[in-house]
Amino acid sequence: MVYPAHHRQIVEELMNGKFILANEEHFNSLKENDAFYQEFFKVSFDLNLVAKPEFSYLLSKETSENFSRDVSIFIAILCYELDRDGRNFMEALDFHEFTFEESDRYFDNSSFIDLIESNKALRDADSRRTLVNGMARRNIVQKNFEDRFIFTEAYRVFTDFAKELALKRITQEAVAAN
Amino acid sequence: MIKAEPRTILSFLHNHFEVVRDLFEFQSQDGIITREVFEVICHKHGQNMKNKLREYRVLRAVGSDYEMRDVYFKLMEFLLFEFKPLLPETIEKYKGAITELYLKIRKGENTDRDILLERIKNLSQQVREFVDLVERNAFRLLNETRDLKSNIDRVEYREKVHKASFWIEYYILPLNKILDVNHSESVANRLVEVSEYANRRRLDFGDEGARIEFEKLYVQLIQTNQDLLRQSKILTNELLPLLERIRTESLILTGFIEFLRNPYKVETPPLMKGSRTMVYAKDMLFKVREFFEQFQQSDAVFLDDTEPDFDKWIFDREHFKSQLKAQLPVNDFFSWCATMLKKDFDHIDTEKFFAITGLLFDEDMSIEFPKKNERVTITTSTAKISVPKLKIETALKF
Repeated sequence: MVYPAHHRQIVEELMNGKFILANEEHFNSLKENDAFYQEFFKVSFDLNLVAKPEFSYLLSKETSENFSRDVSIFIAILCYELDRDGRNFMEALDFHEFTFEESDRYFDNSSFIDLIESNKALRDADSRRTLVNGMARRNIVQKNFEDRFIFTEAYRVFTDFAKELALKRITQEAVAAN
Repeated sequence: MIKAEPRTILSFLHNHFEVVRDLFEFQSQDGIITREVFEVICHKHGQNMKNKLREYRVLRAVGSDYEMRDVYFKLMEFLLFEFKPLLPETIEKYKGAITELYLKIRKGENTDRDILLERIKNLSQQVREFVDLVERNAFRLLNETRDLKSNIDRVEYREKVHKASFWIEYYILPLNKILDVNHSESVANRLVEVSEYANRRRLDFGDEGARIEFEKLYVQLIQTNQDLLRQSKILTNELLPLLERIRTESLILTGFIEFLRNPYKVETPPLMKGSRTMVYAKDMLFKVREFFEQFQQSDAVFLDDTEPDFDKWIFDREHFKSQLKAQLPVNDFFSWCATMLKKDFDHIDTEKFFAITGLLFDEDMSIEFPKKNERVTITTSTAKISVPKLKIETALKF
């Protein structure tokens, strides 16, 4: 049997919980063989392949809940503080190169300080670096040098989550009001 | 009927602009000027003000309240650039008027000339009003959107979502539909049709007066279509993306704030657990077995017994040293070396010869140099070496 190009890299990265991004070489192979990989992961490991135009990742029944929560809080606070600072947070997520110094400043001066201090992955600068390194391993951010990072398209998983949550609450309130 | 001169009215507006502006603002906000408001405003400027406002027909009584007459209201709107956005349904009424006039012009081309000219002028007037309304609406929508973006009023994110959705759904999308020249039912499409008709008639209509009117209409419509295209571009390229962006951003922030209120009670996006192999992983035993199995080669191994293509001779110092010691004293050391090599090989290799001569430096032996210049010649495979005839003896130890 002939496997698609970059098969091993695709399987290894996805199985490690990594996002494969549209600008990566093996993304094309994954996209071109979407049907094969959907079946391959379902039959072999009972995993669902989520294929978006900008990225792909795997979903399992067993999830990395704590990590997802920590990342969600990290991005939520960062977006909130960027907006409060008068900056366009969507543009920042798309194009801005963050330094740890800059993100630390936002977190240290945040009004969500109680939440930050009670969270092991966010409570100090070192913990946040560890979290960002974890995000880099999964391709949610890309690290440029030791102290700089930019978000990849994978951040959309978390902004979509926020959008859905907002819509759900707005709908609930509208129903309650009627 | 107004008795006053037009200049007198303009002068009144100029001198009492604040009064008219206050009345305009109240009407803009509430849709009417209540008697109480009217009294308060007039009270500040004396009884004469009431008479003037009535005489110049600025206001009209509606029951016990008042409203500003349309012509003044529109003038103030224009002067202050404060247009109220109109619902596209209101603008769309022009489609009916324009279509009806257009059809009547076509059908009545050969009837009364005067009514034809009048209809063309009326059509032109309707087009002018339509374009004016569209421009004012687009301008107002752009201002509203920019205000929403800069958020001077500190509107909540959720309210922003609501406002952005409202503008998109009820104003921008329907207005865009009216301006979409590719849509068969749009007003813009109808104007293109009228323009094509006017173009033909300005050239081939029998009556010269009508040709001139068609020419005017055609020129006006060319300009109108360009203006509408520009407005349509503002709507689709600037207004709509800006509002969509405000809506999306506000939605995301609303969601994040909602999430941060109680982050441990909301289900976050599912992410797969990475499956990196640890030494304590469940399948470690199998992986280790697989790793070692690759070394369990059961096939027989054959070694090739062919001679290497290089000389394997290694100088055995101890062997030659013991041979030399057994034959001491040796009168001619270099000849002895040559003899020893000849025992094993057919010819003497230079390298091997020099290797054996190394025995000369052994501390257990003493060297005696010849008194005369006695030399011997050793012939190796590559050279003829002339060496002194050295005598070797056992060294005396003190």
